[in-house]
Amino acid sequence: MTAVIEVNDLTKTYKDKNALDRVSLAIEGGAIYGLLGRNGAGKTTLMSILTAQNFATSGEVSVFGEHPYENARVLSRICFVRESQKYPDDATPRHAFAAARLFFANWDQQLAERLVEDFQLPMKQTIKKLSRGQLSAVGVIIGLASRAELTFFDEPYLGLDAVARQIFYDRLLEDYVEHPRTIILSSHLIDEVANLIERVIVIDNGQILLNEETDAVRDRAVTVVGDAARVDSWVGDREVLHRESLGRVASVTVLGRLSDAERAEVAASGLDLAPVSLQQLIVRLTQRAGSTTQEVR
Amino acid sequence: MSRTLNVVRLQLINKQTFIWVPLIVLVAATVVSILIYAMIPGGGPKYGGGGQAPLWVFFAVGLSAMTMTFPFSQAISITRREFFVGTLITAVMGSAFMGVLFLIGGGIEMVTNGWGVNGYVFHLPWVWEAGPLGAFVVYFTLALFFFIVGFTGATVYKTWGPVVVTASSIALALVLLAIVFAITRLELWGETMAGIMQLGALGIALWGLVAVAAFALISFLAFRRAKP
Repeated sequence: MTAVIEVNDLTKTYKDKNALDRVSLAIEGGAIYGLLGRNGAGKTTLMSILTAQNFATSGEVSVFGEHPYENARVLSRICFVRESQKYPDDATPRHAFAAARLFFANWDQQLAERLVEDFQLPMKQTIKKLSRGQLSAVGVIIGLASRAELTFFDEPYLGLDAVARQIFYDRLLEDYVEHPRTIILSSHLIDEVANLIERVIVIDNGQILLNEETDAVRDRAVTVVGDAARVDSWVGDREVLHRESLGRVASVTVLGRLSDAERAEVAASGLDLAPVSLQQLIVRLTQRAGSTTQEVR
Repeated sequence: MSRTLNVVRLQLINKQTFIWVPLIVLVAATVVSILIYAMIPGGGPKYGGGGQAPLWVFFAVGLSAMTMTFPFSQAISITRREFFVGTLITAVMGSAFMGVLFLIGGGIEMVTNGWGVNGYVFHLPWVWEAGPLGAFVVYFTLALFFFIVGFTGATVYKTWGPVVVTASSIALALVLLAIVFAITRLELWGETMAGIMQLGALGIALWGLVAVAAFALISFLAFRRAKP
């Protein structure tokens, strides 16, 4: 696999804030990435610069080996629908899809029509009169049906109900299996996309905290459940990410990978190992990063 | 090049914007004008400016091409250059369409003796001085001018901010004011009016095309750094 995206020392400064702070990143093709982070962490700014919709203050960006700005060779292989995407005045979804079809060589009209049915999208209503969820659906349909080699989804589920979100996740996975490509999904609903994404990129305060395989991230911590006193004695001075208790039962998530011996020890002391929530893990990692910067101040 | 031409198709996918809305406004303005002419007593020919109404539509179309269609074009991976050139081609086609409509309107007015009430919306003598082709150029240039002013204003606003738009509008107004002042001070109004009459509507329209080119250049420079 070769790197589809290479970013070197990328900085984007708005008036008083570093939206991106010396970001370096390589993204290899043929996987679904989760670009995770809080609101204002820099997710949209990063995606905008990668797609030449926005401009870097300094640093280098290369997509498919070239700079994307004014580069039809590169851009024609990319699709990036924004979270609050604007559409031409008076355009209907039908107009938007017809336009997208003109520019994406791999556009699949059948898939688009099927998704329109799935999301029950009214095709003759002007887009500005659609609900927030329907507006998101228009973007999701363009993103999926374009089958661009590199597709960005920017919080694509806003306003979609649980059923519609599940439809999106299912269709995305189905189509990705049949037509492998590189998909970057920005989200703060981490647990919802946890089973979908193969790699996790966590961005916080304009910096990349993490860029790893999802499974490896999960292995970074472990949750131990059982009798509170026994759990606490097992935990000892391990770093606790999260602790919950109900009566005499406690569930504690600690940072660190367990060796086979340690796992056996857990079992021997009558405790259970439970899967770690990716969301909890990332929330804690992000908070930790936040508190370190506060200490520095 | 085919991607640029696809931008033209993109702009025309919704026929409402460039064709139907200007057409409806034009028909409405014409009907209202004719009704008013019919109510005015006296047999002399009556002229009015109702025909300018659809030109304002072009101003709005130019504006929304930048504020709405451009962000969409970015989502479907069109380069800024492709979008700019394709959109200008569409505007030229739309303006030519307007010009033809004005010619047809003028033709009807000639044949029906001013809609039967000796009233004219399209066939204004000064505009038609240089013949039908001249009149076409005048209306074409007007429509294109309105479009490019709307488009350039929105582009400069988005790229360089409201201060630059306001400052350059004031600067432009001051320059025009200075010219008027100079003409008044030097008592050149007689010569100026004679010059304008001699230039004719067509001559002014041709200068209008120069202004259009200047606006296009400014908006292209601003557009290269525009963000959706």
